[in-house]
Amino acid sequence: MTLLRLHKVKRTYSTRQGLFGETEQVSAVNGVSLSLERGRTVGLVGESGCGKSTTGRLALGIELPDSGDVTFDGTRLPHPNTKAWKALRRRMQLIFQDPLGALDRRLTIGAQIKEPLAIHKIGSPADHEGQVHRLLAAVGMRPDQAASYPHELSGGQRQRAILARALATSPDILVCDEPVSALDVSIQAQVVNLLLDLQKEFGLAMLFISHDLKLVGCLAHEVAVMYLGLIVEQGEPATLYNEPAHPYTKALLAAVPDSTRRGPRPLLSGEPPNPAARPTGCAFHPRCPIAVPKCSQVEPALLPRADGRLVACHLAHVESAAGEKVS
Amino acid sequence: MLLFATKRVARAILTVLIVVGCAFAALRLSSDPALVVLGPDAPPSAVAAFRAAWGLDQPLWQQFFYYIAGLLRGEFGRSLLNGADVLPLVGSRVLVTLEIMIPALAIGILVGVSAGAYAALRHNTPKDRLVMMGAVAGFTVPHFVLGLVLVLIFAVHLGWLPSGGNDSWRSAILPVVTLSTGWAAVLARFTRSSVVEVLGQPYIRTASAKGLLWRAVIIRHALPNAAIPVVTTIGFMVGGLLAGAVVTESVFSWPGLGQLIVTSVAARDVAVVQCVLLLVATAMVLSNMTVDFLYTLLDPRLRGGRH
Amino acid sequence: MKGSRGDRLSSADRDPAGATPLLELRGLTVSVGHLPVVAGLNLKIARGEAVGIVGESGSGKSVTWLAVLGLLPGSLAVEGEALLEAENIIGASEQRLSQVRGGRVGLIFQDPISSLNPVQRVGAQVIEALRLHRGLRGYAARTEARRLFELVGIPDAERRLDRYPHELSGGQNQRVMIAMALAGEPELLVADEPTTALDVTIQAQILALIERLRREMNMSLVLISHDLSVVAEVCDRIVVMYAGQIMETGSTRSLFASPSHPYTKGLLGAAPVLAQKPQRLASIRGHVPEPWNMPPGCPFEPRCPYAMPACSAARPLLSNLAPDHQSACIRAGELPALARHGPT
Repeated sequence: MTLLRLHKVKRTYSTRQGLFGETEQVSAVNGVSLSLERGRTVGLVGESGCGKSTTGRLALGIELPDSGDVTFDGTRLPHPNTKAWKALRRRMQLIFQDPLGALDRRLTIGAQIKEPLAIHKIGSPADHEGQVHRLLAAVGMRPDQAASYPHELSGGQRQRAILARALATSPDILVCDEPVSALDVSIQAQVVNLLLDLQKEFGLAMLFISHDLKLVGCLAHEVAVMYLGLIVEQGEPATLYNEPAHPYTKALLAAVPDSTRRGPRPLLSGEPPNPAARPTGCAFHPRCPIAVPKCSQVEPALLPRADGRLVACHLAHVESAAGEKVS
Repeated sequence: MLLFATKRVARAILTVLIVVGCAFAALRLSSDPALVVLGPDAPPSAVAAFRAAWGLDQPLWQQFFYYIAGLLRGEFGRSLLNGADVLPLVGSRVLVTLEIMIPALAIGILVGVSAGAYAALRHNTPKDRLVMMGAVAGFTVPHFVLGLVLVLIFAVHLGWLPSGGNDSWRSAILPVVTLSTGWAAVLARFTRSSVVEVLGQPYIRTASAKGLLWRAVIIRHALPNAAIPVVTTIGFMVGGLLAGAVVTESVFSWPGLGQLIVTSVAARDVAVVQCVLLLVATAMVLSNMTVDFLYTLLDPRLRGGRH
Repeated sequence: MKGSRGDRLSSADRDPAGATPLLELRGLTVSVGHLPVVAGLNLKIARGEAVGIVGESGSGKSVTWLAVLGLLPGSLAVEGEALLEAENIIGASEQRLSQVRGGRVGLIFQDPISSLNPVQRVGAQVIEALRLHRGLRGYAARTEARRLFELVGIPDAERRLDRYPHELSGGQNQRVMIAMALAGEPELLVADEPTTALDVTIQAQILALIERLRREMNMSLVLISHDLSVVAEVCDRIVVMYAGQIMETGSTRSLFASPSHPYTKGLLGAAPVLAQKPQRLASIRGHVPEPWNMPPGCPFEPRCPYAMPACSAARPLLSNLAPDHQSACIRAGELPALARHGPT
């Protein structure tokens, strides 16, 4: 059952370069469609500046798309900071990278978990104490840790506390933006397992945004690869990781550090591109090892292939069409 | 760039206009200059004549319009008290004020920046704490208290220096010390925190790691970065220079701009106050613009544009 | 003095080639107050060897190398020896250390943008290192800086010399850092999480660059990382650190083939692999002990699934499992069997 649907959303920012610079238009998200379903996770991967975080904020309605629309349970998301939006917000929560920055350092963990309960008038104030303890238990923390301040906790515990706060409103959707990249490997694994458990327990729909393909693979039922504001490939991790169809997905996978690899690997040349200077045609063509003239002229559409996944590459479709007929 | 500069200048002029306009309205509405000049018992006919002579009987917006028109012609108005052109009067006072302000600022910068840098380089040592205690003291003691204490010690008890006036360079010493203490204290605190912050930056470690001696790390990498916020503060100090001596000049009866403000406000000599305010506002705005310019000069990140 | 050190070296040095290591740490201890954050580290880096140092935050993996080069603040006390070809540089004069830093030992750090001076052009920052260690000035220095930029793969090198750090991307700034570290023609390059702040595609480029330069210039490399798979690709030997101590060290191959410390096993299990469906990771319970809360015996004992009473009795020492493989676990020998039957 589709809970949240993004349909061809676009978002453009104006930025000024320096104090005297001219303003320029930076297209962060350039027409992305995604749907989140209950109990399932969509992983969004890509390099910095590819628009994955902006997509997350559009999904939550923290920002409005310039065009396209976001629907939640079949209705369009209301404007940010309106009453209707605030009511919806309790059903959608965001978790992001810096666990210390996301917490108020002057308040105890318990007080911060209680806050959304009070804001959204969930239960009676008398129940709140017990609710805080239940939430802390759900994320694997002790009840006495409600009295601690953020700086008294380790990074992993802080991220748990944030999860507890996010769960306070019993959300349907969790958007996680690089939630574990600041954590140590052993702690990262704890949080990943916790997310998996919580999803099973509460049937959460999750959008998991990360630059780490390995991490996304551990959590996601479906992976979308973004490049310069567009999804270039989308499908099940098994198909995507085993035989990537888009050259960019191939390059990303080849770049993943692998302890079994010795010696050189195929390297993607060049830098992550500047969203303010988007190449024509397929945005990836300047870095693409197999680009043909058409790639710099015609923007490839994100089309389904026979194996069910979506790919936006002229050549990937030629390849698959040669073998079988694609409707 | 040109467009930006034009916008900047336009905004600056607007700021000055707003300041002057507000002051104009406040001065005219708060009391009647005619009554102040002629005295409360003056006959109504004399008051009416005075108002007519100075244009005070016209609507406020019209008076303001005439005033601005006068400014554009280079006429800053005439003193209500003696009819003299206010510009030479204010100008001469500005010079007298600068006689103590410039040395005070120079000393304040020199002492403040070096004390701040000294404290920062000895971060969290007794020496650092001593300097900072001095800075807090210099920062919290008001000018009039410090001025009076200095007068008591050096003029009354020791008799080394005059207690006021501006008869010789020796009379400037106490006001200069009073003024520079405050600035030095502010700058010391500012410089210290700026240097301490910079010393914690990763690029300082990089500079050491490439084999620079600590002294060179400080001079070549720490200070140029730490200077950015300090220079800004100094810029704002320069902007407040003209108006900053009201209290100190009163304490030491130094016949500068500050004293002129006090006497003309008391006498409701609108034209003089107006002229002083115009000057002060312009100085502030100019220093603001200079600070912005210095910012971009010192910090390439603000120059903008990936090439 | 010199003679006695020579004697000790010849007896202590068990290098197969019998050569003096480029750098040897002996009993290196770093402490805050009386709490050690690095506790008696012994380590040898041979010429041309690439060693990976792996550990989580608080393991002392970075602090060790800052301590060796005297780059720690005065509030941290450093004891022990760091012998750079038989010359102890711990406690050496600032003059002496400044010749070593950026000279014989080059350093690069995480987060390249904030590791470069924001108000100085990147070329000038490289030229400064060339002046310090090779006495180059003026045109010669600029020419050499441009050559270094080209060597580390910065396109359009001549113009990039005059850019400021904020005008370059993260990957390019890290290349600048590498060029700067190479300016003194170092014998040892210490790279502290050089790719952590970078995108995965750029990480791969930078790792390949470091690997290539190390071979071409015959440098030794110490690559510090939290990511085992990153060091495994580049390094011959891996040192796993935990709570300021070495838990296990061995050749990359044997360490991956038969991890012989529960912590190493835990790290390997916790690191996600390219999975194809949602799956739980083998996490390590608990968290790294704080320096003031260090267990009396093995520092990993509170989190270890194989711990037994003897583990908390005394700090285990590194013992040989094979000529190229050591572990500081008293049950190292039983681990393979224990793993088959699951944790006790």
